[in-house]
Amino acid sequence: MTVIGRSWSRLTPAGKVLLPLLAVLLALPVLLVVGWATGFLPWLIGLLAQVLGANADIVRFLLAATVLLLFTVPTAFVIIFMEMKLIAFINLRLGPNRQGPWGVLSSTLHGLKVLAKEDFTPTGVDVPVFTLAPVVVYLGAIMTIMVIPFAPGLFGLDMDIGLLYFFAIAGMGVIGLMMAGWSSFNKYSLLGGLRAAAAIISYEIPLTLAVVGVIMLAGTMSLNQIVLQQAGSALDWYAFQQPLAFVIFFIAATAEAGRTPFDLTEADSEIVAGFATEYSGMRFGFFFFAEYVNVFILSALTATLFLGGWNAPFDLAIVLNALSVTVDPTIDPGSLGMGLLWLVLLGPPLVVLLLALPFWMLKSDWSFIKSLVVGFILFNVVVMALIGIWAYMSFPFVAGLFWFLVKTFSLVALFVIMRGTLPRVRIDQLMGFAWKWLIPAALVNIFVTAAAILVIRSGTD
Amino acid sequence: MSAEPTTIRSLDDPTIMVETPATIYDAIPPYPARTEREAEFYALRDGEMLINLGPQHPSTHGVLRVVLRIDGERVVDLDPVLGYLHRGVEKICENGDWHHAISNCDPLEYIASMFSEAMPVLAAEKLLDLEVPRRADYIRVLCWELNRIASHALFVGWLALDLGGLTPILYGFAERDEIVEMLAALTGQRLLFNYLRIGGVNGDLNHDFMSRLGEWMSRALVRIEEQQKLLNQNEIFIRRTKGLGVVSADIARRTLLSGPVLRATGVPFDVRRAHPYSVYPELEFDIPVRSEGDSYARYLLHYDEIKQSIGIIDQVLAKMPDGPIMAKIPRLLRIPPGRAYVAIESPRGQYSCYGVSDGSDQPFRLRIHDPSFFNLQAVGMMMPGNLVADTMAIMASLDPIMGGVDK
Repeated sequence: MTVIGRSWSRLTPAGKVLLPLLAVLLALPVLLVVGWATGFLPWLIGLLAQVLGANADIVRFLLAATVLLLFTVPTAFVIIFMEMKLIAFINLRLGPNRQGPWGVLSSTLHGLKVLAKEDFTPTGVDVPVFTLAPVVVYLGAIMTIMVIPFAPGLFGLDMDIGLLYFFAIAGMGVIGLMMAGWSSFNKYSLLGGLRAAAAIISYEIPLTLAVVGVIMLAGTMSLNQIVLQQAGSALDWYAFQQPLAFVIFFIAATAEAGRTPFDLTEADSEIVAGFATEYSGMRFGFFFFAEYVNVFILSALTATLFLGGWNAPFDLAIVLNALSVTVDPTIDPGSLGMGLLWLVLLGPPLVVLLLALPFWMLKSDWSFIKSLVVGFILFNVVVMALIGIWAYMSFPFVAGLFWFLVKTFSLVALFVIMRGTLPRVRIDQLMGFAWKWLIPAALVNIFVTAAAILVIRSGTD
Repeated sequence: MSAEPTTIRSLDDPTIMVETPATIYDAIPPYPARTEREAEFYALRDGEMLINLGPQHPSTHGVLRVVLRIDGERVVDLDPVLGYLHRGVEKICENGDWHHAISNCDPLEYIASMFSEAMPVLAAEKLLDLEVPRRADYIRVLCWELNRIASHALFVGWLALDLGGLTPILYGFAERDEIVEMLAALTGQRLLFNYLRIGGVNGDLNHDFMSRLGEWMSRALVRIEEQQKLLNQNEIFIRRTKGLGVVSADIARRTLLSGPVLRATGVPFDVRRAHPYSVYPELEFDIPVRSEGDSYARYLLHYDEIKQSIGIIDQVLAKMPDGPIMAKIPRLLRIPPGRAYVAIESPRGQYSCYGVSDGSDQPFRLRIHDPSFFNLQAVGMMMPGNLVADTMAIMASLDPIMGGVDK
């Protein structure tokens, strides 16, 4: 026993995670075979299907919550990689280029590294508060993702008070920042926590007030309904009916996410790392992920409220009609008969050869094998593109997801470019900007919108 | 924070808790106050606290430590603590001969060491009453101006970085790296060149250096203009730096400020014009001056000076004479007894030296006046009343190099 215990204690944290996983992986096939042979597994599956069928709503909620929770981590990885690469290009650097092609794995490996680091609690901290703070911050970030509609029929929860829920939960994050700042027993952390509280509470007000105009236009607080109200072309988006609110919302969202130029909460040149100064390992990782999840969520909310959510900016059918192109995305492989066999057998090799040929002919220093590999990669790209186009035209939720992600990641890129180019504002300028400019402008926007609605509606009555 | 005792884990035995006064976390020195000023500084009023900027802090320049007494975010008072980089360079110089002093003085101004290594060289030449070959003088001016541009390019990046801008520092380093590689082709070193010699320079211009210089010069002005666009009209940057760290011309003169800090207050003092040395009288250039005296004026002034330096390099290359690069001096150099004062214009201001020789081959005394040290004393006038975030902008705009401050 002591031998096992000693070996166990010598493992790194990553090993302590990976070793049980390996054991489970080895035991799983054995268990499956035994379970199937004894008839236990079929019985269990039948029972599960019965129970799940009886509680479809709860199952859907739990499934959505799990999927969205798991969705946040890769999203954060993608945004972190995007930021590293984009800021590198702004800085005239190459950025990460060693981990995977173009360094695409760098942020993932950073995440794993953070996971394997020592979980360190410094002397003098308030241990329970110190431990809970990252959890609160991360929860505040990911719980809001439940109400965001990704595509038609693809959302966690359709609430009538979706927006209210969003702002209520988003406000929870600031409690976590305060907890981190106060419990760390460090003056930089304290200053960072207080800055976070002051800034985020100030910017919640313009953020919420800017949305009031949209709520008045849409007549609902359900994010799904708000997206449906913006259906049609790009001109129906609320960004064009509420331009002032759009600008105010985006600026306030920047401050809410704690991004440059409003990143005073973790201003590294002033207060080291703000509230995160004393954190290390995965506890710091939670703060770090929460920031990027926040960026994604606020971009998604901006896209949902002002840029039409998952609505396409133009109707594809109208464009195709105008170009007099008819595309029938329905596929019936059986109609090809024997042709199908020839297509499957001869199509891929011929296309690969066709795509490899120009490289082989034009690049005299490339070997034939190298040209073939490039041709094969190009063939895959072409096939993926064709499948993508087919899926886009056949399933509305694929088209919706595509446009939603395009809009959201465009806004994320805007956040990143702002970080690469702008210096940071000062705390008094930050507060003055919120209270002297954004809040009055948001109030003006509300009154103008209300007056416009009154005039237009009375005209139609 | 109050001085109530707190229990912390013992450093000797982590299993037991010991009582410690909370003041150890307050940067209060563990000894009784030595001066009246110290007693006044560490007597905190209600609601005030002490916060350490440095010596380990992401944005301190070198290892400067500033203890700030803050009320909320506003700086009430500050206490700079120097000496973390003290090496006793002046004493070390006395123990070697005059040639050793060149490489010993190199790390004083480690961002622009072409200037600090010139100190013993110029002092010895003045004591010897030595005529330096004209080609060597032109090469020196070329190196000085290149090094000035490298240093100024970094200044802009540091100022922006301390204000939260991530990009200008890399543009600055891109310029600096090209210049430093260029000088490495000439001198063999990237940072501490050890290139100037008593009576000339160590090596003649070579093809590698000249081709790098030509390539860089062909697009230097365009790139500098391009980089200016990022911050010059940036509203956030202007609001952060305009009216910040203002010092009047009168006070600047009286507290011995020099360099861009002094010229930003409207005083057109530049050693290259005021007390000409080397071949500067033969070159045409302006002394850029601004009158505001704030951080923004200092920022703009650095770009103006970069442009002037590029103009000087153009003239130097056009006028570069042929001839020897070293005067004839004996291998065992005995400097005649006497005292000599020399001054040059470094990127940070007047870099001067008072050399005393007793007739041996070693300097009897080499007193070095570093502009960073005198510029740094302006923080006491500039910082109180500002916010914590501004202390960084002020510090960066004074651009101290701790190697020279602590010596």
